[in-house]
Amino acid sequence: MRALNRPWLLLVLLAPAAALFLLLTVYPLARVFLLSFAASDHGFEGARFVGLENYAELLQGRSFRRAAWNTAFFALVATVAEVLVGLGLALLLDRAFAFRRALTLVVLAPYVLSTIVVAAIWRAWFHYDVGFLNNTLRALGLDGVPWLFDPNIALLSIALADVWQNAPFCFLILYAGLRSVPPELYEAARIDGAGAWLRFRDITLPLLLPYLFVAALMRTLDAFKLFDKVYAMTGGGPGNATETLSMHVHRLAFRFFDIGLASAAAVAMILVAGTLGAAYAVQLLRSEAR
Amino acid sequence: MRKPIAALAVAAALAVGAVDAQAQDRLVIAGRDAAFGTALARMVEAYQQRNPSVRIERLELPGGPLYERIALNARERARALDVVMLDDIWAPEFMANNWLADLDRLGGVPGTFVKSADAVSRNPVGTGPRFAAPMVGNVAMFAYRADLLAKHGLQAPRSWTEVAAVARTIQEREPGVAGVAFRGIRGNPIVTGFLPILGAFGGEIIDSQGRAALDSPAALAALEQFLALRPLAPRGVETWNATEVREAMEQGRIAMSAEFWPGWAGTLDDASRSRVVGNVNLVSPPGQTRGPAPMLGAWMLGVAADSPNAARALDFIRFVVSAENQKRIAIETGNPPTLAALYADADLVRQFRWYPAQLQALENAVARPRIAQWNRVEAILGEHLQMALVGQAQPREALAEANREIQRAIAR
Repeated sequence: MRALNRPWLLLVLLAPAAALFLLLTVYPLARVFLLSFAASDHGFEGARFVGLENYAELLQGRSFRRAAWNTAFFALVATVAEVLVGLGLALLLDRAFAFRRALTLVVLAPYVLSTIVVAAIWRAWFHYDVGFLNNTLRALGLDGVPWLFDPNIALLSIALADVWQNAPFCFLILYAGLRSVPPELYEAARIDGAGAWLRFRDITLPLLLPYLFVAALMRTLDAFKLFDKVYAMTGGGPGNATETLSMHVHRLAFRFFDIGLASAAAVAMILVAGTLGAAYAVQLLRSEAR
Repeated sequence: MRKPIAALAVAAALAVGAVDAQAQDRLVIAGRDAAFGTALARMVEAYQQRNPSVRIERLELPGGPLYERIALNARERARALDVVMLDDIWAPEFMANNWLADLDRLGGVPGTFVKSADAVSRNPVGTGPRFAAPMVGNVAMFAYRADLLAKHGLQAPRSWTEVAAVARTIQEREPGVAGVAFRGIRGNPIVTGFLPILGAFGGEIIDSQGRAALDSPAALAALEQFLALRPLAPRGVETWNATEVREAMEQGRIAMSAEFWPGWAGTLDDASRSRVVGNVNLVSPPGQTRGPAPMLGAWMLGVAADSPNAARALDFIRFVVSAENQKRIAIETGNPPTLAALYADADLVRQFRWYPAQLQALENAVARPRIAQWNRVEAILGEHLQMALVGQAQPREALAEANREIQRAIAR
C-alpha cells in the first residue's frame, strides 16, 4: 500500500515486467500486424506493401475459411464436452466411496501426459484395422469406424482424444469449486426437503458458475490454439477436414514462407481469440457482480 | 613495449586459430528419419570411428520438418548446420536462393553418378556446377505380385486402365488381398502417388511456359482414373504413407502398388520380414496415352552455404557417396545407390534382383518441375487431390481450385 503513495516506486517496481511485456508481447504483435499488410517471404527485408491484399486472399481461399470453421467447431465441441465431463467427474469424486483416491489418480493420469504422447496413443487406438476401438467394436459384432479418414468424423475423433486429455483439468477446477461450497447450505436444503436435483440446481450450480466460466474460458482459448494433436494425428487431413487456424498459419509461414499472408491469418486468429476471451471475461465479471 | 604488443598479437592469432580449429572439429548433419535415417546413422558411426576427434551431431527428421529446419537455418543465416540431406524437389529452391555451397569450388566430389540424379544435383540442371552429391537413387517403380497374377492368368498391366481391371479381378478372387495401394495422405505422398498417372495421361502441373496447367482434360482424366483406384485399395488408404504401403506389400495384403520406391524394397526378399519373398516384381510404371515416365526421387547431400565447417562437411559427403560406402549402405539398409557402376555389382544384383530394371528406370527418370516454388505447389495440389479422394470436392472443382492457387504461387 505504501508503494501506491509513491508513484516513482511503483514505476520502478513495474518497469521490468512492463519492459518484458513490451519486448516479448507488444513488439512481436506489432511486427505481425505490420507484416500482414506486406508481401514478404522473410521479414521486413525485401517486403512490399500490399495494403489489404493478404486479407482479401485469405477470405477468397477455401483453406482459410475451412480452417476457421474447424477451429471454432472444435473449440465449441471440445470445451462443452470437457466442462460437462469435468463436472460429472467432480460431482462423482466429491462423494465418499471406496477407492475414491485411486480413481482420482486414474482420472488425472491423462492430464499429465504430453500432447504428442496422447496423440500417439489415440492414433494407435483409432487405427482402422488393428486399433483398440475398432477391435472392441468388432468383438461386439459392430462395424469398425473410420475414425481418422472420414472427413465427417475426423475432427470429432480428435476432439474425443482432447476430452480424454483435458477433462481432468476441468475436473480439478470444478472439484475445487465444489469443495468451497459450505456444507451447511446442503444441510439446510435437506431439512427443507429438497431432493438431489433441486440441491444441484439451486445451490451447486449457481455457486459453481464462476468456476465453470473459468474452466470454459481456459479450455476455449487452449482449444482455439489446437496444433500439435492435429499435426500428429492427421496432419490436417483428410482433405482439409481437420486443419485448424494454428496449422494453417504454420503452413503458410514455415512451409510456404508466405510471411505476409501468414501474418494476416495470425492477426485474424488473435482478433477472434481476443474477442472470445473478452466475452468470457465480461460474463465472468457479471456473474461475480451478482 | 614492443614485446608485450607482439606477445598479445601472437596470443590473439593463436586464439583465432584455436577457435577455427575448434569449429573445424564439429559437424552438424541434418537428415531424414526412417530408412534413410538408418543409412545416414551408419555412415556417421563409420565416419566417427575414422575421425574420433570430430564432434558430430545428427538431426533425424521426417521430410516436412527437415525442409523447415534447413530453410529456416538458411533464411536466418543461423550457421547451425553443416551437412544437409535434401529431396531433389527442394533443390531448385535451395540452389536458386544460394542456400547450398558450390561443391566444385570446395574441392569437388568424385564419382560417376546415374545421369538423372547427377543432373538435378547441378544448377543449372545438368550443366552447372555441383551443389549436391546424390546419395539415394530412388525412382518411382510399379510393384505387382507376380505369383497372384500368374495364379489368375493375368498379365502384368501396361496401362492404368489395366491396373484397375487386374485389381478388380484379384480383389474379387483373393479374399483378404486388396487390388492396389498408393499413398493417400495429403501433401507430398499423394502428389507423388498421382504424378505417374498424370504423366501417363499426358497431363502437366506446370506447362512449358511456366504456367499452371492442371485445368486440362488430360489432368481430369488422370484424376478420375486415380479416384477409380480408391475402391480397389484397402480402407483407410487416405491415411497411408510409405510405411503402410511397404508393410502391406511385405505382408501380402495388396496385389499391386501404384508407386513403390526402391528405398522401400530392401527387405522384400528378406524371409524374416517378408511373406512374399521372390514374388514381387518391380517395373517401370504403366503408361496410358503416353509411355511410362518413371519419376525421379533422389535424395542428396549438400553443404549449407553458411556452414562454419564446410571443408569437414565436404569430406563427410565424399565419404558417404564413395563406392565402398554406397555399396555398404545398399547391403546393410537396402537404400539404392547413385553410382551407376554399383547397379552391375554382382553382390548387389544377387541381393536385389530388380537392380538392372531399376538402373534403366533411373537413367530414363523424369524429375519433377524444376521451379523454386515447388514446395508450395506440391502442398496446394496435395490438399486438393486429397479433398477429391475423400469426396470433399468433385475432380473438376479440385483441379480448378488447385490450378488457381498454383498460378498465384508461381506468380508470387
